[in-house]
Amino acid sequence: MNTKDKILARLREGVQQTFDMPDLSQLHGITYTDPVAQFIQKATTTAGAHLIELPGGVDLNQAVHQAYPQAQIFASNLPGIEVQLNPDTVEDVCQLTAVDVGIVQGRIGVAENACIWVPQAMKEKAICFASENLVILLRRTDIVSNMHQAYALIAESGEYFRDYKFGTFISGPSKTADIESALVYGAQAARSLTIILTS
Amino acid sequence: MSTLHAKAAEEYLRHTDIVERHDKTFFGVRQKRDNMAQALPEWEDLREAASQIKKHTVSHLADYLQQFEENATRNGIHVHWAADAREYNDIVYQILSAHGVKKVVKSKSMLTEECHLNENLEQHGIEVIETDLGERILQMMHLAPSHIVMPALHVHREAIGDCFRSQGLMENLEYPNMPDDPNDPTYLTFVARMHLRRQFTEAQAGMTGANFGIASTGEVVVCTNEGNADMSTSIPKLHIVSMGIEKLIPDYASMGVFQRLLARCGTGQETTVYTSHFRGPRPGGEMHIVLVDNGRSQILSDPEHWQTLKCMRCGACMNTCPVYRRSAGYSYTYFIPGPIGINLGMLRGSRKYSDNVSACTLCCSCDNVCPVKVDLSTQIYRWRQQLDSMHRADATKKIMSRAMSFIFRHPKLYTRLVGSLHLARWVPSAMMKTPLNPWTYGHEMMKFPPKSFHQAWKDLKPKEDEQ
Ligand code: SF4
Ligand code: SF4
Repeated sequence: MNTKDKILARLREGVQQTFDMPDLSQLHGITYTDPVAQFIQKATTTAGAHLIELPGGVDLNQAVHQAYPQAQIFASNLPGIEVQLNPDTVEDVCQLTAVDVGIVQGRIGVAENACIWVPQAMKEKAICFASENLVILLRRTDIVSNMHQAYALIAESGEYFRDYKFGTFISGPSKTADIESALVYGAQAARSLTIILTS
Repeated sequence: MSTLHAKAAEEYLRHTDIVERHDKTFFGVRQKRDNMAQALPEWEDLREAASQIKKHTVSHLADYLQQFEENATRNGIHVHWAADAREYNDIVYQILSAHGVKKVVKSKSMLTEECHLNENLEQHGIEVIETDLGERILQMMHLAPSHIVMPALHVHREAIGDCFRSQGLMENLEYPNMPDDPNDPTYLTFVARMHLRRQFTEAQAGMTGANFGIASTGEVVVCTNEGNADMSTSIPKLHIVSMGIEKLIPDYASMGVFQRLLARCGTGQETTVYTSHFRGPRPGGEMHIVLVDNGRSQILSDPEHWQTLKCMRCGACMNTCPVYRRSAGYSYTYFIPGPIGINLGMLRGSRKYSDNVSACTLCCSCDNVCPVKVDLSTQIYRWRQQLDSMHRADATKKIMSRAMSFIFRHPKLYTRLVGSLHLARWVPSAMMKTPLNPWTYGHEMMKFPPKSFHQAWKDLKPKEDEQ
């Protein structure tokens, strides 16, 4: 018997008592009357992100440059964004560690914890982590109350994981409290996160 | 007869300020957890659901593992099975050597610690870089983790700064606004950031653990705050996941339950910064998952202790445990300390690790914070009952227990004795604190009231009736 069969046999023999799967449809997660307001509040306090509500007519490029006036290298594969590097065509992925601002599209916002679902929609996902600063675009209408709702949307949708086999929830900039519990932003990944809410 | 834990704790307790700091730090995390729990009306429903999902999955583990393997393979992931630590280490080494890997960046995983992977790879000349900041600090200082989620909180900033300086990490580093304190945590984190970001670009492979494996989709989920697991898997082309077989959950609906509990219980945050779902290799890359048993299937067949398999290693039970908080990680003889570590140690080797079962007052606080309702204190109690047959019970305490049991079984004798307890006040404490009375050792002798509770109750009664 190979290792796999041995392990499976031991597990089948070892079971003392079997239990049914609970009915999770009966579990009701917290909901908010105004999920967008709750999302903004969470994102800008506990999550430690900046948030811009983009008024109609204002150019996205202008908003990004205003948020990071010192930045030199921008990276994105989104249409209409002016960049120096594109994660689809970059020759060496290590180049993305020099990016000042990476700009990606978020698909679902979660009000309870400011998580944003960012499915990989670019060849090199390093842009989401290695960029010094990250900008996530998110439509106001894509915000739900809780994680149960977000996971249900991902499970139902056939569009994620099709082209690239990765997706991540991001809530705020990279952080650590490993040195004497002092909270510090910018551990290994993005040092700041700016969310741009679009209509 | 003191256990090794008791002896180590005694030594630790001499450093009052350190103990106080440790206690406060972890009780602070426990309080943050409480705030999280109280903010959600569905909190207890979540815990109950999590417990039931785990019971279900663990009792159908063989089926779910097969489903997981099928789906992962369809996603283009190579799945391996390891019966024990040796087989696991061999598999990982073979994958790495087949790719000519010289340097690995690795995100935190208790499983690799359990299997001593780092030492093993280093023997083969492969450099392993821990990328979680706390783990990296410990690795550079040649220390073991003292907690499973916040592994280096017991190390003070001065020691970390000295270590970084001795490794030359500050050389050629420009930092705007140098702080007055050369060991400022923000500055030290920046130093580590620059050091680690270089490692990510130099390594040929990234290794992660798995917080969860999802059977219905064949993917793994890794949760971090630092983003180190993501950096480790976005730059090197080879990704190896080490996953204990008990990490499996059925589907996305279950994932919602566990995602909501993990960070709230572990660190008192609503979520970790990154909750990353890996469903296949990155373009042009390769992904491997090693499923590790290493004693887990044995635990499943233990009728009294199989529920430890529900554990998702959040660390909440350590943060709340009064004994852990005041004796710290190194007092325990198993590499995982605290309530869950006591139990996992006994399951690993009941003779070897029995010194830890004394590290418990049976206050049951751990049971109440555990997000998956592992019956931690009940299990510790059971181990203690078994100590006797293993000849590891404390002989003096056994005699005293027998005497007490006799007294409790004879109510009249009990009442008479309790009535005269206040006389103990007149016994000089030097007489009470003798080696013959181990319970006064380390405990202050309590002051017995002149009236017993029963007497006070009786005296009170008629007054109530008069009202
Ligand atoms: S029951 Fe024991 S292990 Fe659990 S929290 Fe209390 S003292 Fe710690
Ligand atoms: S036993 Fe429960 S509280 Fe302790 S680490 Fe495991 S899941 Fe967390």
